[in-house]
Amino acid sequence: MLAFTLRRLWQFVPTLGGVVLLVFVLFNWVGGDPAYLLAGKISNPAQIENIRRQLGVDQSYAVQLGIFVKQIVSADFGASWATNERVSEIFATRLGPSLTVLVPLLAISTLLGMAAAMLVAYVRGSLTDRAVMIACTVGQSVSILVYILVFQYLFAYKLGWFPVQGWGTTFGENLLRYSALAIVVGVAVSLAPDIRLYRTFFLDEIGQDYVRTARAKGMSEARVMWVHVLRNAAIPIVTNVLLQLPGLLAGAFLIERFFGIPGIGREVILAVERSDFPVIKAVTVYVAIATMVVNLAADLLYRAIDPRVQLK
Amino acid sequence: MSARVLCLAVLLYTCAALGAGGDKVLRVTFQAAETGFDPVRVSDYYSGSIIEAIFDPLLSYDYLARPAKLVPNTVESLPQVSRDGRTYTFKLRKGIHFADDAAFKGAKRELTAADYAYSIKRFFDPKYRSPYTFIFTGKIVGLDELAARAKETGRFDYEAPVEGLQTPDRYTLVIRLREPDLNFAHVLAFPLVGAVAREAIEAYGEESPSHPVGTGAFRLQRYVRSSKIVLERNAGYRERRWDFDPGDNPRFRVIAERMRGKRMPAIDGVEVSIMEETQSRWLAFQRGETDIEYQLAEVAPTFLTDDGRLRPEFERRGIKLDRSTDPEIIYLFFNMQDKTVGGPAKEKIALRRAIAMAYKVEDQIRIIRKGQAVRAHYPIPAGVAGHDPNYRTSIPYDPAAANALLERYGFRKGPDGFRRQPDGEPLIIRYGSTPTERDRQFDELMKRSLDSIGLRMEIQKERFPEMIKLQKECRVMVHHSAWIADYPDGDNFMQLLYGPNTHESNNACYQSKEFDRRYEKSRRLPDGPERDRLYHEMTRVMELDTAWLLTDTRIRNSLQQPRVIGYTKHPVLHAEWMYLDLE
Repeated sequence: MLAFTLRRLWQFVPTLGGVVLLVFVLFNWVGGDPAYLLAGKISNPAQIENIRRQLGVDQSYAVQLGIFVKQIVSADFGASWATNERVSEIFATRLGPSLTVLVPLLAISTLLGMAAAMLVAYVRGSLTDRAVMIACTVGQSVSILVYILVFQYLFAYKLGWFPVQGWGTTFGENLLRYSALAIVVGVAVSLAPDIRLYRTFFLDEIGQDYVRTARAKGMSEARVMWVHVLRNAAIPIVTNVLLQLPGLLAGAFLIERFFGIPGIGREVILAVERSDFPVIKAVTVYVAIATMVVNLAADLLYRAIDPRVQLK
Repeated sequence: MSARVLCLAVLLYTCAALGAGGDKVLRVTFQAAETGFDPVRVSDYYSGSIIEAIFDPLLSYDYLARPAKLVPNTVESLPQVSRDGRTYTFKLRKGIHFADDAAFKGAKRELTAADYAYSIKRFFDPKYRSPYTFIFTGKIVGLDELAARAKETGRFDYEAPVEGLQTPDRYTLVIRLREPDLNFAHVLAFPLVGAVAREAIEAYGEESPSHPVGTGAFRLQRYVRSSKIVLERNAGYRERRWDFDPGDNPRFRVIAERMRGKRMPAIDGVEVSIMEETQSRWLAFQRGETDIEYQLAEVAPTFLTDDGRLRPEFERRGIKLDRSTDPEIIYLFFNMQDKTVGGPAKEKIALRRAIAMAYKVEDQIRIIRKGQAVRAHYPIPAGVAGHDPNYRTSIPYDPAAANALLERYGFRKGPDGFRRQPDGEPLIIRYGSTPTERDRQFDELMKRSLDSIGLRMEIQKERFPEMIKLQKECRVMVHHSAWIADYPDGDNFMQLLYGPNTHESNNACYQSKEFDRRYEKSRRLPDGPERDRLYHEMTRVMELDTAWLLTDTRIRNSLQQPRVIGYTKHPVLHAEWMYLDLE
């Protein structure tokens, strides 16, 4: 396992190199010259040149790329071009609010999705199964924007169960008061695809010989489902959940914008709007690293969940 | 004895509780995130609003006077201006102090003339790459030279004497200008020219955008970037009483009756929430989570009747509407250096004029603005010195005449139904646009307009920073642009067409000797009939060349909860929070 892990870690280097090159080329190709944005309403060529020099975008592409690599190695992406705030400070202060919403959201939607999927897989072909599948198909076809608009209007404005938007000063207030509706929306959006996906995982397992054998041995249905089927179906489910984890770093920008959550997703959109390359660079690199780490973790978890899995 | 002590303690506690903030906290929203609160480092409207509440410029504007009228702010009176219009002398009021801050190490810090000299110099420090250097560029004697030296040495020398910025004593500031400028005082009322304390700037260094320390009515209490900005009343703010003349305006009279004599600011604080989405702002306002909301153009038909009044269901709830136009112009410009539409040749003028005559401004107001805009005829908008409400553009909407004009100058239709150049070459109008939903609507309207006169259109889609760059390089053929007043003087608008400002603010790259000659003369005149006459002539010159088509000015519909009193949108001030009260 150690050799496998080291080999995978070594593979991070070329993958990250590809990401760095892609981001660098894309930003310089389509990103626009940030100096013109920062120069304000009236500026002359000398002022533009001064800004370009301060940002370092007047240097050769090779030098700029070298600086980018150095920033990754030192984990110091400098300061935002638009606000002068340190990029490390942006992550330190914005990740908390994003995680306050996204971690409960992921946990609740996974648990609810698994429970509902197991239920409909168990009664496959029944009216319940068909009704849930139709509802999931419809639910999956609706844009997240519609969920946000409708839920915010109905539950916050009409019924007044939640504040329309906002963010407080304590974790408890933020989790229970301000994040609640955002979490409900997130769960509603992700539940339909999760149920459909997890149902197929459960159906794959329910049809296996070991399930028939367990039933033949007189094992209770609850034990068959909750112990044997669930454990084996958990491998692809864990994979699916782990693959969603890097997304937590990028936040859920639409939810954050509509509900006034000062998270990293909002910051990413702001950075793109402002051509704020230091923030864009940091987010891209961190998400790439997180994706690679999570993929490795998923592989190692397979082994932990099912000892029959061989890591090569 | 113990009872008396207890009573005293209760009394002190009650006083302290009331003084700590009370419940008069105004809740407002911004629809875009701020960038920081260091006056020389920002250019966005929202950061500027907070800066306006925290810092004090030398001059300000009367809250109720229309058009905007300059009044002393931290000075005893309006400046003494020399007869030649080159020297401005300001006498500061004594006893104005900066808000308490750790940078002052526990001492009270009085505002002095040197603070203003320092604050103005900062605009030229290359380190700050200030977006608003232009308001002083080429104006104050010696300042540009100091900036040039800083560029060479890499260090801005704040100690170096500047001939045009003198502080003969602690409370006197003398500004000497290179050229006569009788309207320069407006620049010194600009909120970003508020005084900063050098100790605070040096203490916070690169963190200065998040540690504003000023002498204004409010101070920063809590700041969650891009999310929440909480201001509290500056406890050390100087004694000011609400005393503005409402004139004959009945709405202002009601405001004056309710507000006269109150200490300013009357509220305890301001809580600003950043809400990018219109639905969130609209629902939050309707739920009573915010007190004033004006960024609701997309949903205006929901709360307004066709004639621009508040719908009865909102009136019944006590919600109030304040309706005004922004001091801005939106215009369609032609790149005068472009080989297809630019230049002084008669057929080029005819082409530009035909496009302008085919563009249906009425549809822009009705469809894109949802009726919440008024037609702009003059380059200087209402509320700005030099505006002429009676002026009417000489470029009418008349597609038939536009077609006839094109025929007359040889732009004949080819077999594909589209017109060609007089020499038979293909004719394509490239319209500049950014990839936004709003600009898509402009694309469609422009396409319909050009179709009506048989011109083929291509859309040049560019991201916003690239679009600015291309404009400054005179590489955008036709594009819509907007300009909102930095200060309420006509010069701030007319300079947009001044030839030497090409590559800076003159995005039509318009060069006209007739215009420039009059503009240079207008800069030496005060606001008045003589300057107005020149502005008229300049506008007609521009229309003859058809460098621009003025389109519209947006209406600002500000909704207020019943508990808000004394609010009206000022044409220039953006943070009217110190002038209002909450019930």
